[in-house]
Amino acid sequence: MKTAMELRVGNVAMVDSAPMVVQKCEFHKSGRNASVVRMKLKNLLSNTVTEAVYRADEKFDMAALEQKNCTYSYYADPLYVFMDSEYNQIEVEADCMSEVMNYLIDGMEDICKLTSYNNKVISVELPTIVVREIEYTEPAVRGDTSGKIMKLARLKGTSYQIQVAAFVEIGDMIEVDTRTNEFKKRA
Amino acid sequence: MLKKPRWDIFCTIIDNFGDAGFCWRLARQLVNEHGLEVRLWVDDLSILSQIEPAINVDEDRQSLRAVEVCCWRKSFVSTQPADVVIETFACTLPDNYILAMADLPQQPVWINLEYLSAENWTLDCHCLPSFHPHLSLTKYFFFPGFVEGTGGLLLEKSLLPARVSFNNISQDIFFQELGLQSRRDGELYISLFCYDDAPIEELLSACVISDVPIRVLVPQHSVNNAIGMFFGVGSPAAGQVLQSAKLKVCIIPFLEQDKYDQLLWACDINFVRGEDSFVRAQWAERVFIWNIYPQAEQSHRLKLEAFLELYTERMPPEMSVAVCSLWNAWNGNGQMINAWPIFAAQMTELTEYSNKWIRQLLPIGDLTSNLVRFSRKDQI
Repeated sequence: MKTAMELRVGNVAMVDSAPMVVQKCEFHKSGRNASVVRMKLKNLLSNTVTEAVYRADEKFDMAALEQKNCTYSYYADPLYVFMDSEYNQIEVEADCMSEVMNYLIDGMEDICKLTSYNNKVISVELPTIVVREIEYTEPAVRGDTSGKIMKLARLKGTSYQIQVAAFVEIGDMIEVDTRTNEFKKRA
Repeated sequence: MLKKPRWDIFCTIIDNFGDAGFCWRLARQLVNEHGLEVRLWVDDLSILSQIEPAINVDEDRQSLRAVEVCCWRKSFVSTQPADVVIETFACTLPDNYILAMADLPQQPVWINLEYLSAENWTLDCHCLPSFHPHLSLTKYFFFPGFVEGTGGLLLEKSLLPARVSFNNISQDIFFQELGLQSRRDGELYISLFCYDDAPIEELLSACVISDVPIRVLVPQHSVNNAIGMFFGVGSPAAGQVLQSAKLKVCIIPFLEQDKYDQLLWACDINFVRGEDSFVRAQWAERVFIWNIYPQAEQSHRLKLEAFLELYTERMPPEMSVAVCSLWNAWNGNGQMINAWPIFAAQMTELTEYSNKWIRQLLPIGDLTSNLVRFSRKDQI
């Protein structure tokens, strides 16, 4: 059990039987030594995000979550199938894939972190950095290697577009930060 | 005929008179101006009885001024929750009351009425939900405040007209009731209500060497010891007048709320504290100086700073400096003896500014009406 004041970003607290992940929290002193905590919470079952405020001493049960490293195997409409290190197949609903979809390609070897609550996967997290191939972008700008001038590029296999450095060309392999969807460098 | 919505207000007395004073005003205004049925649960009726002498401290339930006043005992007897439930200043509701709320087919509107602060973060938290961690109940946080986007301040419809009609004759009658002589021209009248740690001795020292005669009216409370010490006497009683040079300090009885408002109107400068008297002083349209409730880790300084920033925003620079210096000194950060003469020199302009400040506050609407509006389910 944790108080609202002890909760940190990433913690998953139970709120009326629903696991809620803390996405943001701000602590404020209100009056006469009382305090409040403003939070942004994401319901891991419904994926809805809500803002809330709690007394700092409000007590929460913490969700019992299971985390497992897996790789993506294949799509079996409407589910996405992942495989753990013991070759167990784990099915994931599309709702839980969120931004993973931007980087999901057949045969990818990235190790994803699957978080489950009550044996149901509630979120899939990609590695911070993934390497993807550029399917299309405008021709490279000669001479610019600074990386300051950016242009749009489409990733192979997902059609997801991100801003890349102007020197990047079609067929290049690039590193992308999956938290911010930012181009890092050529791989 | 539609049944009147029922409201329950829960009030824990942490210390002093502010909790009870605020809740009693709120309860009366809900009844008088919004026609609601109100139960006020207070855990210490003796404090409330000092503000409202008609309270019988031995009665567990009594009806007074159309409010049902109930003694909130530790062993809370289960009761049907009201349509709207107000927990004031984050007091903890009885467990069996919370469970009863959760059992209702239609959830009551549950509001935590928070502390008053001018800090910007209150705007971000105002009206946000607070989902109960274990039950299907949602509470909402409601923040009073001084700007649009907050809940506003308590203000009864009758207060400003009553202040306007409080003329010299009513003032004389009021002073007579307190056993005081009528006001004398050229004399500066000050009311003093503050916490024990306020630099009272410094204030009185500054008043002693003032150019104009000063009369300080002190409702009897815990600071009387400090006043007695300044004059080299024991703790003075109500009715006693202490004098040094041009300074006279008159100890008056502790006043019930309506009478305290009149005291604020009758004085030129009002030293006030906490929340309730602080708000009343603003509506009094007189010069006021705030003694903020001291908090751990000096966090009250941020709150004082936030209010000063807002309050002095439209002041000319020299007035702003005078106000900030004196208020900070009164709250333990500076010298009263230096700040007082500069502040006193701004009296005329400051009195005029009090009116501008009220006009800045009025468009927000009064707290009770804002609360009633919010409590309607379709607003949430």
